[in-house]
Amino acid sequence: MSQLIWNGLFVGSFYALVALGYSMVYGIIKLLNFAHGDLYMLGAFSGFAMLGAMGGLVRSSSLVALFVVLILTMVATGLSGVVIERVAYRPLRGAPRLSLLITAVGASFALEYGTRIVAGPNPKVYQVRLDGTALHVLGALITWQQLALMAVSIVLMVALNLLITRTRQGRAMRAIAQDPKACLLMGIDVDKVISRTFFIGSALAGAAGVMAGGYYGKIDFLMGFIIGLKAFTAAVIGGIGNIPGTMLGGLLLGLLESFGTHFVGGQWRDVFAFAFLILFLTVRPTGLLGERVTERV
Amino acid sequence: MMRKAALGVALAATALTASACGQGVLGGDSKKDKGPILLGMDIPLSGSSADIGPYMKNGAQMAIDEINAKGGVNGRKLQLRAEDDACDPKTAVAAANKLVAAGVAVSVGGYCSGATLPTLPVFDRRKIPMIIPAANSTELVDQKLKHVFFVNGTGDQQAVAAMTWMTKSGAKKVALLHDNTSYSKDIAVRTAAELDKPGGPDKAALDAVNPGESDYSANVTNLLRSKPDFVYWTGYYQEGGLILRQLRQAGYKGKFMVADGSVDAKLVKIAGGSAGEGAYATMTQTPDTIQGAENWIATYKQKFGADPGPYSTQSYDAVRAAAEAIKKAGGTDGDKLVTALEGINGLQLFSGPLKFTDRHTLTSGGFVILVVKNGKFVLQDALK
Repeated sequence: MSQLIWNGLFVGSFYALVALGYSMVYGIIKLLNFAHGDLYMLGAFSGFAMLGAMGGLVRSSSLVALFVVLILTMVATGLSGVVIERVAYRPLRGAPRLSLLITAVGASFALEYGTRIVAGPNPKVYQVRLDGTALHVLGALITWQQLALMAVSIVLMVALNLLITRTRQGRAMRAIAQDPKACLLMGIDVDKVISRTFFIGSALAGAAGVMAGGYYGKIDFLMGFIIGLKAFTAAVIGGIGNIPGTMLGGLLLGLLESFGTHFVGGQWRDVFAFAFLILFLTVRPTGLLGERVTERV
Repeated sequence: MMRKAALGVALAATALTASACGQGVLGGDSKKDKGPILLGMDIPLSGSSADIGPYMKNGAQMAIDEINAKGGVNGRKLQLRAEDDACDPKTAVAAANKLVAAGVAVSVGGYCSGATLPTLPVFDRRKIPMIIPAANSTELVDQKLKHVFFVNGTGDQQAVAAMTWMTKSGAKKVALLHDNTSYSKDIAVRTAAELDKPGGPDKAALDAVNPGESDYSANVTNLLRSKPDFVYWTGYYQEGGLILRQLRQAGYKGKFMVADGSVDAKLVKIAGGSAGEGAYATMTQTPDTIQGAENWIATYKQKFGADPGPYSTQSYDAVRAAAEAIKKAGGTDGDKLVTALEGINGLQLFSGPLKFTDRHTLTSGGFVILVVKNGKFVLQDALK
């Protein structure tokens, strides 16, 4: 039982980290950024490229290298997110919601198949692997690496929450979520704040990508697709647009999958996860902690 | 998969229109007697199994070049036309329609069984014989289509080979894991049936995972509840590597075996370091496990600047069987080709002399057991 909970929480923390970007962007400009899962993929690949470029340095101090790469990748994917917003979404800000959604799907394809052209269609194996001894905690098998990755996720999530609730920047974001026009009148540079939102959301997805690369080891250009859908599910369950709700949704989805696999069998794992998405969309479209009514797409 | 589905449908629609137009304009036979004879090949050149495609394409190309160097077949050259099926059923149907529209005489492709299955009627309806070099789910054989032949061992033959090795290596409780694709499920279910027979090892569990994810810890935990001492994974290598790694991380100490779809050096790389060592595989013969294939390998390397891989030899043999049939049939008429293929007796293939059974499969699957040593699959037991 404790193993099931731990498995669920661990996977859930990845979902939560990716889901935050979805949720932030949705909360502020009501856009479902379907390219978000692909930023996770892009993070994994840029980490792979950086580790490759560091070459010999990596072997001597792999954990430090991975940490440095994590930070650099967050900057790189963050900037990619800003570029995507500038090129693909900003020109359409006044356009109907559907045009934006289609553009987002287009951006997702562009990232996936662009990566395929650059890096090739074959899966890549990370140079740094987090191998480690397992600890037995209350009957569950836990590795130090899992603990470290969980810690990084939690630190990132707490930092994000502080940023949004305690800083001027965060206040500006929340204000835009409520009324962008009024914000313009109040002298808030809306474009700049939206850019920053994309930067933060994409950086979190990039961080999750590098962590997945280091932990699971295998990356490929389509790896962002399923996790993108799962993150979306997590965001909906928790309440899309609501930051603590999204974190909760991620963890909950991880647990649902873990217990679902246990009780109804492995092949039903995704059926279980997406059935909950449908359930929430019909019964409680605002999610667990959401307040605003979610637009269904 | 909604986006991919939409794209696939669009592609299929385009391909259907294209093929319909093609037939109208060309008016039947005008293309059949002049110019090179086209051999079609539906293989994965992108997607999850993208690295297998080139192995198969090169193997087929090598056979075609050899045959053309000797003057071709019935005075006509052979020409290969490969289309990407991305290991995806919808893309595969679109690709098959493209090949049909191009006027291929014989299809010599087919790797992922799930993607190959819907292409069978596309070719069969136009009486285009298929000599399938790799896809081997029994589901394909069970369609009992007149124009479909297999030069790879089938799922039931692989299940028997797996069972033989499990018994021989002293397994007690075997857990089977598949990925719900036609190929993978077929082997797992048939192996389960073998295990359920009295005698030999018992079945501990039969479970499935969803391909394309990274975290299989939930599946692994579930599998280990049945306390197996032998795990048989029948899916492809990407998930295989992750599952092997996560099994070892979860403290599993027993044996691990994969089916032929997972035989790739990347499996070991993904599993990482020592986790991959000692993993077994049921596999039809690969160039490096065939004795006397050194010259063939050297020619291949010289020609393509790369090592041959899984299904290079089977693709090579599929083309040779096709050429033999075209020669005997004296043309490319579908029904005559089928009669000619059924009549082939003793054409020397890598897997032995060719004689199709009445189900159009090989008489013997020719499965062997490989083991990972120093990061590479090498022969463990020929099961003779």
